[in-house]
Order: sequence, then structure tokens, then C-alpha cells
Amino acid sequence: MGEIVLKNVTKKFGSNTVIQNLNLTIKDGSFTVLVGPSGCGKTTLLRMIAGIGPQTSGTVCIDGKDISEVAPGDRGVAMVFQNYAIYPTMSVYENIEFGLKNNHIPKDKRRKLVDDACEKVGLQELKDRQPNALSGGQRQRVALARAIVKQPSVFLMDEPLSNLDAKLRVQMRVELIELHHKLKTTFVYVTHDQIEAMSMADTIVLMNEGKIMQMDSPRKLYRDPDNLFAARFIGSPAMNIRRFGNEEYVLGFRPEKGIISTQEPQGCYRTSGTVVAKEDLGSEIHYSVRDMYDDVSVIRSEEDDITVGEKVWIGAKPENIYLFGNDQLRIREDDPRYPDLCRQVLALQ
Amino acid sequence: MKKNTTNTEELETRHRGNWKEKIKPYLYIAPAFVGIGLFTIYPVIKVLIWSFQKVNQLDTSKTKWVGMKNYSYLLSNGAFQKTLLNTFIYTGATLAIIMTCALILAFWLNKSQGHLTMFTQGAAFMPHVISSVSIALVFSMMMNPSFGLFNKVLTAVGLPASPWLTSSSTAMPSVVGVASWKAIGYYCLIIIGALQSISASIYEAASLDNAGAGVTLRKITIPMISPQLFFVMITMTIGSFKVFDTVRLLTDGGPNNATSVLVYYIYKQVFWESNIGRACAAGIVLLVLVGVLTVIYFRLLSKRVHYQ
Repeated sequence: MGEIVLKNVTKKFGSNTVIQNLNLTIKDGSFTVLVGPSGCGKTTLLRMIAGIGPQTSGTVCIDGKDISEVAPGDRGVAMVFQNYAIYPTMSVYENIEFGLKNNHIPKDKRRKLVDDACEKVGLQELKDRQPNALSGGQRQRVALARAIVKQPSVFLMDEPLSNLDAKLRVQMRVELIELHHKLKTTFVYVTHDQIEAMSMADTIVLMNEGKIMQMDSPRKLYRDPDNLFAARFIGSPAMNIRRFGNEEYVLGFRPEKGIISTQEPQGCYRTSGTVVAKEDLGSEIHYSVRDMYDDVSVIRSEEDDITVGEKVWIGAKPENIYLFGNDQLRIREDDPRYPDLCRQVLALQ
Repeated sequence: MKKNTTNTEELETRHRGNWKEKIKPYLYIAPAFVGIGLFTIYPVIKVLIWSFQKVNQLDTSKTKWVGMKNYSYLLSNGAFQKTLLNTFIYTGATLAIIMTCALILAFWLNKSQGHLTMFTQGAAFMPHVISSVSIALVFSMMMNPSFGLFNKVLTAVGLPASPWLTSSSTAMPSVVGVASWKAIGYYCLIIIGALQSISASIYEAASLDNAGAGVTLRKITIPMISPQLFFVMITMTIGSFKVFDTVRLLTDGGPNNATSVLVYYIYKQVFWESNIGRACAAGIVLLVLVGVLTVIYFRLLSKRVHYQ
């Protein structure tokens, strides 16, 4: 069990307020990813849950119990740090055992628990090694084992993959997902990498400037963003946007839903420009087209004969267009302004 | 077979042509080696030779070999034995006081921040910058039994006055006190440097691992600063064995040899008794003692020192 509830939490560093009156409920057993740009308060939030950077005001509850005043070691949480925070003077075994020892668990039980944890992350052969004789990936595993061994109700992870190379990161991503399935406990994972968030989370909490911009499943967040920030942050390349209606409204469409053609497309939003870059990634081709306003990205999965420097039309079908108001909030189909704005978009050139 | 001969010849020619290349590195380091030879190795050898001689400084032709006589004199001489004992007491006491105080001060200064901390850090380091002569002058005045500040304070709070540097029972503790006061700030700074190199996340991980303050200190902090502590211990021991200025300026080895230490003894042999041979023999004893102690430290402690 490990439902986390944050009620009206505020965090100040001196006179600087990083998070103000934030409310968040993280479901028991979920893999929740806190994602957002640097300085958005996601790590601060994680540290509040861990108790190593307590909130200035508000309460943090785990399983309905207010743990605001409980010491980090007694909260039933385990954390994996960005730099792993492995104790450099202890062997792998001692590192994993340290928490158990402090909790006065008998020696034979400790040995069994450490062995189990090592087996789960594939560290059996390295138990006697010193941390300085380990690679980045192995250190990562030690940090994981150290968390697993405590059998916590909540796992907290602060950008644990950011120090690994690209290949290892993908591999560890899969292993973490598997681990979550195996352990079935609550995972709270912080990252600034939206791809990591999309691939691992069952719930994404998107944050900006200390506020939650949207909290949803990856699919919902991607297909149905609530605001312009969510629309622009999730997805790579980012959603194409253009202001219209006296700069009052914003339209957006995802690069992979864009149309690129030498002939003017009909019945949809369209604009013309020049191809400034064509990146062939094998499975897909990324085009950058410069129209009179901005650069527009379009992704196509099939080969075509459009070349750099060519004049082309860019477009998007009405059903693939997202509309946002001046307050950056989404204007959905049920909004009274929607039909009129749609007409305006189709008439744009 | 023929091919083999050609190969050997080729190699030989290459070798002959290469002698310039071979000599080059030695030429590069030659100036440094000449310096070391002239100013380090030669003096040590000279001291070693003199330690077996009765040296006549005015007429070197009258210098004669006396074998182990200088050494046997020293080892049977009461004053030298007292000197040796004093040196060990001085080293042990300063080591214990400085280590403890520097550690406590460093932990405190590392934890707190702000103007007071900055001031304390500066104030603690200040004695290291002040010359020994000034320190000795100020402390001899403050420790003066009749009009010194220390006794005034002691009598003001109702405690008996102390003779400080003028009694053989209190002279050594007084000298140790002054020497420790001078050195604490410097070693404290080294330890603060070591403490600040420990990442905050290690402590956070420890608090999540439910480690109390004692366990964190024993299992994390001390092992992680052990290389610096080891370095401090060795340099401090060597420094204490070679102490001279504090003793010379505060007590002149007195009263009644109560504060006479090895280097002060050597100084006295050279400048008061003009006995170069004996002074050199005492110098060699010092060298051997420092060497033996360093080896013992390495043997005993190197396993407990964690280099990362």
C-alpha cells in the first residue's frame, strides 16, 4: 500500500516560493512520473515526500497517515538519487545492507534480503566490489537494490537514468517498468525527459513553475492536452503553433499529423513555405519548412521526392488541429467559440 | 640465418643512433637532480658521517672518527632521555588536542552558515598567519605569573594562580597549549575542506536509511574524510617531532629541561656546546624516529583509510 496525498503544500527557499498551495494525490501502486522543465519544482516535490526537503506548510500523507513530522527513515519510502548517492567507503553488499542494519534486522534475515535484492537487479557477482570498481550502470543497480531491499511502500526516483548512456538508458527503462510490475508498489519518478515520462508512466504529472499543468495518462496527455504548455512540452518535435485572430488565439498541430505536399491541400488549414531541412531518420523523415511566420515541422513515414529549397504546402486536417485561447487554455469542441474559430482557421493562408 | 644477422645489425645501428634519444630524459631531469643531490642528499650523508666523528670546526684536520661513541653517549645521557620523553609527550598531547579540537570545530563550522561562521573560521585560522615570535611574546606576557592576564582571570574567578611557564610541572602543558592554539585553525580548515567534499545526497541517503547521527559519523563521515585525517596525522606528527621555535621562544627548554625537545637539544649541542658530532647523531635519531613512526602509521592505519 502506498497512496500519497499532498495537501496545500508550499515550499519556500528563503523568500523565494517554489511551490504554492499544491494538491496532489498519487494512486497506490501507480507508476507516476513528475515531468517538467528544469526548476519547475518536481524534485522539490519528491524531496518533500521523502522528507529530506520538508514542505514549508501543508501536509504529506502516505496511506492516510500524516507523515509531515516523521523522519525520512521512518516514512516507509526509498529513494534512488540522480547521482546514486552510493556510500563510497562501503562494498556493494554493505551499501545494500546499511538500511537494514540501522533498522536492527537480524543478520541471517539481512543476508537473505540483500541476496534477493541483488538477484532482482542482477548484482549477485558484484556483491564484494567497492563502488569505485563499478560502471555507471552497475552503480545504478546498487542504488536500486538499496531501495528494493527495504521493501518500501513508495519508491522515489530522482532522474535515475540521466547519468547513463543512451543505450543503457533504454535498457534500464524497460527494467524499471518490469520491476514495477514485479513489486506492484507506488513508483514516483522525476524526469525532465518527456520521452522517459511517456514510455514509463501510467500517470504523468506535468509541472511548470511550481504548478501542476495537467495530470493524466501519457496517451491522454499527448492526444488531449488541457493547455498550450502541455501541448508544447509533450511530443518531439514539439507541436507546431501559430497565432491568429489578432494574435488572440493559437492553433496547433502535431508534426506527425501534418501534411506536406507540392499541391495546395483542400478542406484543411494550410500555409506555404520553403523546405529548409530534411532529416532522414530511416523509419521516418523530418521536414522543417519556413513559412512567413515561423519554422514548421512535419514528420512523414514514407519516402517522397521533396527536396531542400523546394516550395511546398503545409497543412493539417480540422480534426487534428488544437485550439487555445489567450489564457493558454484549450478551446474544445463543446466551447461556443469553437465553430467560428474553426472557420477562421480554414480561411487562413 | 642470414636474415637473422641482418636484423641484429639493423637493431645495433638503430641502438647506436639512439643514444642521444636515450640520454635526453636524463638531461631534462638533471637540473632538479643536481638540486636535490646538493641540498638534500649531500647534507643527509654529511650529517650521517659527522654523527660518527668528533668534529673540529676550527681545524678540520683534527676531526676524528669516534665510531658509535656519540650515539652511546646520547642513549645513556639523562638529559637526552628526558628530551626524548618530552618530545613524545609534546607530540602525543598536541596530536590529541589539535585533532579533537580541529574536528569539533570543523564539524560545527561545516554545519552552520552565516557571518558568525565566517568570522569564527577566519579567527581560527588567524594564529596560523601570525609569526611564532609574536605569539610567543604575547603568550609569555599573558602567562606571566605576577602580572599576566591568565592569572588575573584565574584569581578573579576564585581559582588559584598558576606558575605557567616558570614551573617544571606546568611548563610543558603551557607550551602544548600555545602550540595547539596556533595550529588548530589550519588543520580545521583542511578538515572542513574534506567535509565539504562529501555530497549532500550521501547524507540524505543515510537519513532515508534510518542512520542516526552516531552511525552517520562512524560509518560515513569519518571513513570519507579518512585520507585527509591520515594526512593531517602524519604531517602533524612530523611537525611536532621537529618543534623548535615555540620551545626556544617561550621557555628555552626550561625550567630544568622540562620542555627541552629533540630539535632544541640539537640546537643547544651546536650553538652552546659546539658539539657537532653529537648534534648530528641526535639529528639521525630524530630522522629514524620520524621514519619508524610513519611506517607504523601506514601499517596500522592504511587499511582503515578509504581512498575513493
